[in-house]
Amino acid sequence: MTQPVLQPVLQPVLHSTPRPRDVLREQVRALGIAIKLPAVVAVALAALATILVASRLFDAGKPIDFAPELSMLPGIVGLLLPIGVWRGEDRFGAGLLWTLPVDRRHHALTRVCAGWVWLMAAVALFVLWLFAITLISGGNVTAESTILVLPSSVVPEPGTLDAASLESVRWTPRPLLWLVPFTSATGAYLLASAFALGTRHPIRWLVGAVLTFFAFLGFAEAAHSRVLLQGGNRVLVALMDGPYGIDALLTARTESLHTEATLSTGEKVGVWRGLPDLGQWVKATLLWTSVGLAALWAAASRHRERRRG
Amino acid sequence: MSHSTHPASGDEGFAVTTHALSKRYGGEPALDRVELRVPEGAVYVLIGPNGAGKSTTFKILMNLERPDSGSAEVFGLDTGRQGPKARAQVGYVPERQDSGYRAMTCGRLLQHVAAYYSTWDHAYAEQLTRALDLRLQRRVGGLSKGEARRLQLVMALAHRPPLLLLDEPTDGLDPLVRKRVLALLTEHLADTPTTVLISTHHVYEMETLADHVGVLRDGRLVAQLDRDELKRTVRRYRIEVPEGWESPPEFRVAADASRSPNRRELQWTLVGDERSVAEKLALTGARVREVTSLGLEDAALAFLDGEVTG
Repeated sequence: MTQPVLQPVLQPVLHSTPRPRDVLREQVRALGIAIKLPAVVAVALAALATILVASRLFDAGKPIDFAPELSMLPGIVGLLLPIGVWRGEDRFGAGLLWTLPVDRRHHALTRVCAGWVWLMAAVALFVLWLFAITLISGGNVTAESTILVLPSSVVPEPGTLDAASLESVRWTPRPLLWLVPFTSATGAYLLASAFALGTRHPIRWLVGAVLTFFAFLGFAEAAHSRVLLQGGNRVLVALMDGPYGIDALLTARTESLHTEATLSTGEKVGVWRGLPDLGQWVKATLLWTSVGLAALWAAASRHRERRRG
Repeated sequence: MSHSTHPASGDEGFAVTTHALSKRYGGEPALDRVELRVPEGAVYVLIGPNGAGKSTTFKILMNLERPDSGSAEVFGLDTGRQGPKARAQVGYVPERQDSGYRAMTCGRLLQHVAAYYSTWDHAYAEQLTRALDLRLQRRVGGLSKGEARRLQLVMALAHRPPLLLLDEPTDGLDPLVRKRVLALLTEHLADTPTTVLISTHHVYEMETLADHVGVLRDGRLVAQLDRDELKRTVRRYRIEVPEGWESPPEFRVAADASRSPNRRELQWTLVGDERSVAEKLALTGARVREVTSLGLEDAALAFLDGEVTG
């Protein structure tokens, strides 16, 4: 007959770690408090903007069309939000966040995810606000509009542009472009989060990068090197306004394609250098989002559990 | 979530173990092959001067620092490989009072921490908050050092962890609150099966609670013994020595062993069984005049002074 195995009575019962969804829920709540002040400021600015729009309507009676993709604001908010998300947190020290019973890399990513939840909520409110403004002003939500497009051969020199050289195109912005504020905010937020989480001194890095760029330009000028100057310029243009550049991510290139030109008559008109290409926007978004995710994973890995061997 | 039981470990019976734990900052050793053994249920006081390596030990146990070599375990859980699980067993009061989260109120911060521990006892947290006179609606950013420390104590105790790591927990507290904290800690230990590893400069405060003492000096654990052993073996000897007396090599005279003005009488703190110490001294011609036992603090501090020999 076998004897039962007796466990020591005083053997301690070990506590469990929290469930990931509980951690996420709590991080979302906690971040809500951390970003309350910027949120209040944003609401105040929105109220101010509403008053300005209302006064513009009252003065000119000009309706506002619904084109959320034109605004860089969501992207800018996405860039700035990580400051609020990580403010006051001892990212590279022994802060409270790292003493809690959650895998450190997952915890960092969970906090980023919680910030993203708030970002999407804010962008949704912003799009709704634009929509409401459009409706109130009697503007165009989905209907097609006539836009002026510059033929590719024409370079808009100020005051020399002939109105006849502009093509009138009937264009219906696809509702898919309404996603641009969400994707631009997401891409910018991922990149900025990776930067905030992965560097001890993000401001120093930023200033360093800008100074390095200007030092490079200065060196190229001093050396009278056209190759360096043109190369630098080409890289910058590709990075900012290229088919897969930052502008493609933030505004589906509506920002860089849309410009103001002065006609030979002296009249100023809004013209397009081309129409936004949805395929290009999707590719640019995928590219930048992937880069952001990879950078974020690498940044969060700087905070991983300190395993040996 | 279910609770797991104690994992199988080679160090059963110990809540905290470290194996040849070493850490250097720059070229300076912070910990040098430390072999810490904290028995389950013990109140273990870790003493040492500033920079001796106490906080580094705590940080390694929380996996906030990576050791250069060696390992650490909390209830058999490797703190490097099973960091989250190990931390789930710990209530930690860090050396620093600043917790961050300055925009939150104390109440909200407690709620925040509570979300991470399924064992959080809300009624107990409330009781602790009242006992420590914490105002929950106050913002964390506006707390004084003492208030911040009290908040950290509530966060550490309220989930009734099996292990408390308290790094200078009474630092920044006024004497009255200090007394209250120690009373709360005593009550906590009576209610909850807990192991305590505490570092403090105020060893006398732990006189009634401590049952084990470890002494860290320059990153080395120079002594580790239980309270009875400490009291039994570390004693103050007043001895009379003949002219030209040489101390036996195993009793190297420490720098501050005090001599009487006629240099015939010596006061010495020695480690060892009283009878064998007296016999060894007698063999050298010295005569033991008086033996006094030391309080916990004096006995432990003797190791720091470098006074203890034998």
